[in-house]
Amino acid sequence: MAVRDIHIYPDPVLKQASETIDSFNQATDELVQDLIDTMVAAGHSVGVAAPQIGVNRRVAVVDVSQSKQGRENNHGLLIMINPEILERSGAKAIREGCMSVPDYTGNVTRAEEILVQFFDRRGMPRVIRATGFEAIAIQHEIDHLDGFLFLDRVSSLKTDIFRRKKH
Amino acid sequence: MNHIALTIIGRDHPGIVARVTEILYRVGCNIADSSCSILGGQFAMILIISHPEYTDRESFGDAFDPLEKEGMSVFLRTLQPGGEAAPELAGEICLISVYGSDKPGIVYPVARELGNRRINITDLNTKLVGSAERPVYVMMIEAVLPPGMDLQEIAAIMADLQQKLQVDISVRDITPVEF
Repeated sequence: MAVRDIHIYPDPVLKQASETIDSFNQATDELVQDLIDTMVAAGHSVGVAAPQIGVNRRVAVVDVSQSKQGRENNHGLLIMINPEILERSGAKAIREGCMSVPDYTGNVTRAEEILVQFFDRRGMPRVIRATGFEAIAIQHEIDHLDGFLFLDRVSSLKTDIFRRKKH
Repeated sequence: MNHIALTIIGRDHPGIVARVTEILYRVGCNIADSSCSILGGQFAMILIISHPEYTDRESFGDAFDPLEKEGMSVFLRTLQPGGEAAPELAGEICLISVYGSDKPGIVYPVARELGNRRINITDLNTKLVGSAERPVYVMMIEAVLPPGMDLQEIAAIMADLQQKLQVDISVRDITPVEF
């Protein structure tokens, strides 16, 4: 029940792999609530992962329903505990930024469609198929749980139309 | 810290960045923002550098002589205080693709429309592609719209221009998403 400060790189918490949640207790529930509160307080950003509030646990929240890009196609508020991507297909590039890496953006290519498995707030297993912007947001947040930033995923500098293609 | 804009251009070959940055490192310069790319057969480097004491070309003495002996051109420009700080640009960011059969007068009419409407070009690339018989001109513009202007407005302006210039133009939103 608290809005937490967003940790900014080079805080080492952002570059560590997070630990799996093995019990759904009050501490887990409070972490989830803090993530939601922090996401909403940050001008309703589309997601926050636990390392961004300084906690190396595999928990992230995603909600693209309030954003222009995700409004039409989403699962609402997703609370993802121990999420794992089971399948990926397609590719979609967008320019990403991150609250933990201020003042920098880069073109990142991610899967356009994913099948993702996770536990919800009550510890119930769920599997969803996400596409488009929501899929990208989920991949960005799960990357945080593995210690990756979008800086590790930048696929091109500016307009890559001028680059030679690989055949 | 004094900030200086440094531009270096010369025939492209591997090792240019190493040669230039070794000089900068040895004289104690910091590299802040930089952008380097191949244009035609040339490698062009633009860097904002800073140094605790150096203020102009004189300060560097003969540090850049080896580069110039190799045929590279080196230009320095001392920035006014604050000239190194990036401005806050608030509006939507869009990418404008302009392409068509090559002919004189593609870049200017597009740039004029944007300039007249206070649309700020933040990045611009042009390239001549296609065959010698059928050359095609491609221009990519990244621009920040003034606050309050939306994408439809600029798209309509570009649709008009497409008719006048007989080239293809498309506009899309590339405002970054912050996660």
